[in-house]
Amino acid sequence: MRNFILRRLVYAIPTLIGISIITFVIVRMAPGDPIRFFTFGQRDITGEDLDRLRHLYGLDKPLPLQYVDWMLALVQLNFGQSFIYHQDALQLLLTRVPNTLQLAIVALALQLLIGVPLGVLAALKRGSWIDGAIRVFGVAGHALPQFWLGLVLIIVFAVSLRLLPSQGMLTVGKDFWDIPDRIKHILLPAFVLSLTGIANYSRILRTETLDVLGQDFVRTAHAKGLHERTVVFVHALRNALIPVVTALGGILAGLVGGALVVEQVFSWPGVGQFTFQAAIAKDYPIVQAATMFVSVLLVISYLLRDIAYALVDPRIKTG
Amino acid sequence: MTRKQRTARVLIAGLAATMLVATACTPAGPITSPSSTPAATDQIQQGGRVIEGWATDLATIQPVLTADTTSQRAYQLIYDNIIQQDPKTGEPKARMATYSISNDGLTYTFEMNAKANWSDGKPVIAQDWLTGLQGVAKSAKTVRKSTFQDIQGFNDYCVAASGTQCKPTASAASISGVTIDPANPKKWSVKMAKVSCPAILDLNGYTIPTQVFGKYLTATSKPEDFDNAPENTNPTVSSGPFKFKEWRKGDQAIFSRNETYWQGAPNVDEYVMKVVANTAAITNGLKTGEITFGTIIARDLADMQTVDTVKITKYSNLGYTFIGWNTLSPTATGLADKRVRQALAYGIDMEAVIKAVVFGEAVPHYADMVPVQWSYPSSALEPYKYDKAKALQLLKDAGWVAGSDGILAKDGKKFSLTISTNSGNQERETLAQVAADQYKQLGIDAKARPEAFQGLVTKLTTGDQTLEATIIGWSLGGDPDPYGRWHSANIPDPAKKTEGFAFTGFRDAALDKAIEQGRNPSDGNCSTAARKANYETFNKILNENQPYNFGYVNNTLAVSQKSLQNFNPAPYQTLYNVHEWWVKK
Repeated sequence: MRNFILRRLVYAIPTLIGISIITFVIVRMAPGDPIRFFTFGQRDITGEDLDRLRHLYGLDKPLPLQYVDWMLALVQLNFGQSFIYHQDALQLLLTRVPNTLQLAIVALALQLLIGVPLGVLAALKRGSWIDGAIRVFGVAGHALPQFWLGLVLIIVFAVSLRLLPSQGMLTVGKDFWDIPDRIKHILLPAFVLSLTGIANYSRILRTETLDVLGQDFVRTAHAKGLHERTVVFVHALRNALIPVVTALGGILAGLVGGALVVEQVFSWPGVGQFTFQAAIAKDYPIVQAATMFVSVLLVISYLLRDIAYALVDPRIKTG
Repeated sequence: MTRKQRTARVLIAGLAATMLVATACTPAGPITSPSSTPAATDQIQQGGRVIEGWATDLATIQPVLTADTTSQRAYQLIYDNIIQQDPKTGEPKARMATYSISNDGLTYTFEMNAKANWSDGKPVIAQDWLTGLQGVAKSAKTVRKSTFQDIQGFNDYCVAASGTQCKPTASAASISGVTIDPANPKKWSVKMAKVSCPAILDLNGYTIPTQVFGKYLTATSKPEDFDNAPENTNPTVSSGPFKFKEWRKGDQAIFSRNETYWQGAPNVDEYVMKVVANTAAITNGLKTGEITFGTIIARDLADMQTVDTVKITKYSNLGYTFIGWNTLSPTATGLADKRVRQALAYGIDMEAVIKAVVFGEAVPHYADMVPVQWSYPSSALEPYKYDKAKALQLLKDAGWVAGSDGILAKDGKKFSLTISTNSGNQERETLAQVAADQYKQLGIDAKARPEAFQGLVTKLTTGDQTLEATIIGWSLGGDPDPYGRWHSANIPDPAKKTEGFAFTGFRDAALDKAIEQGRNPSDGNCSTAARKANYETFNKILNENQPYNFGYVNNTLAVSQKSLQNFNPAPYQTLYNVHEWWVKK
């Protein structure tokens, strides 16, 4: 197993280098000059000022040299200074990471807490109206655009009913550790972010549970006279959950990376919103730091997933 | 109908009914802001909190490094200005310091208000103003070095790794043009190398605490010492109405009342800059009461007018949205002809455009300067009222005649016109489309082309000749000096690799002269009356020559909770009386 993990880690290095090149090139090739952009309309700005700032940020060098400079700094975990914020890009990013993780973890919990029971229920009530409703919900969960659903929920629950806040992660003036207030703020964005996952899990669990319920060991359990609840929750569900557990590795990274739309709609100060605004402002250091951060998270997640697969499925070779 | 189908219908109907009921509910009271119920008395009440909505986070709280309006708002809460603009007219006025200008227009003398103190008890003195100037000179990241280059000795003191204005190592130990009165530490004078009328507002400078930033600006300090000072994001003392309390990045910045503020402590306890994702979030926050005040876009006005807890204040914007014609375009060659540009002004029904694009919340505009500027011309300008016949006649006079396909042509070349604007800006995209539709009715093969703002900015400022017409806007803060936008020295030239904002390529000797006389008058007379005479000429030339279709001036729509009192935003300033605001409980 140790060799398996080491081998996967070694494979991750060229993957990350590849991502770094693609990210660097795409970001730099997008039209526009960041210095012109953030100085646009400044009354007294001169060509000399622009040249001075380009030189300061190394933007006057040829692109390959800029990449080499960036990579050399990167191996020392130096992502450069933000053009806009005049602060270390990684430090700025790290202040947003807990916010996004908070959202992603709550969304993940909602996916599991709602998606798994729905899937099992649909399987147990196969062909009934409950099964039908859950399947409709599953399709809707995939089909509803997050931005649209988010806006509708804001109009309904925040603007009209005044039950929940419309934005942010804490009411102004509330203590940082005011947990009930934080829960009120996270409910809507976490629900929207989790919806696709809930739909996915309910679908996977329905299929897996139906599959497992038809297998010999379940029939044997019934034959032994075990209680229906024991058969379903102890024997069948444990096996049906295997694909879910193995998929978990990649989900967290997916949620972190995919939170952009939700963070934007709910003004949630996370990595996605921060990166989006940095991309608009052409703040290269932040965009590159964020992309590399999410990429590393993704690589680690896939590694965990592969390990989980290897642990639960002996057919996967680890040697 | 099967049982399953009936069940599904009942479920869908139930869901829809829930949504309808929820969206139709009458709003309850705001969540966080104080009640809007009138108090028994209108006596000023102490306490409460003001929450302003912003669609971008602040970048810094160091004025020397600031290049964005959000950060500007933040530092103005903490570091007071010595000069301010009249909120309604923009004329310069004394604030934390009085000032006088010598007869030759070259020497400015300032004296800091005797009551002006830092929140740590130290007096605000002339050296604090000089510290701000030294910060600009030393900083590598500031965008302000050119602003102060006319101060005598500034260029000898300022440092820059590249360029000609400043040197990698300073050649002087001090800025020779700045003299602090040895008998009065609150008094100082500034000698300019040449007369410059916009200088008085530039010389407001940045009064920052020497006791905090002085240590980053010694003879041995490096630029990064000042640029990376921790107090740039965590200011420790204040001369403004509020003190810095906390900055939760991307979420909110909190400022608390400065009890020792020289104009009197503010009535409210806290001022919060709440960062949200976009203007829609500001609108929602105003409706729910999560935000105390902010500006909304015209599209949301009708909706906001149904909310009875808010007050809407409209005023004319300090800027305008326009269509800039590239008079040097090698493809849309017609734009070089004044008659064609005038035809394009007569050929668009701007009143109808304003209704379609900004729901009537704007007024047509005919020249560069806007009505709220003191420099706005007093004499009448040609309003270019919609007149299709006149437009067609002007085009005909210029040699453009409709072909068999209805498209205008001259010398065998069809009149095609691409109107570019920044994608994602719904107002400008609609304007481009509506303008293209109206120009098609004149026989011009016009089309709209949205493209990324960043790319568009680069094309404009470098004089990219692929642009034929561009819709964009100007924000006109500060002095009305139009040098950067219109003087021929600022026409970008791709061949010479020079950049500038005069991207229409329009050149006129009389225009240049009027700009120069309004900026650096030969007689040293910087009075508003003398400058206004030059700007009268300047605006008339532009009005006649139409290098832009000057488009329209939007209304600014400031929305506040009714509980917020003494809140009177104006084109030039919102915070000028922030210490007098109070919240009715």
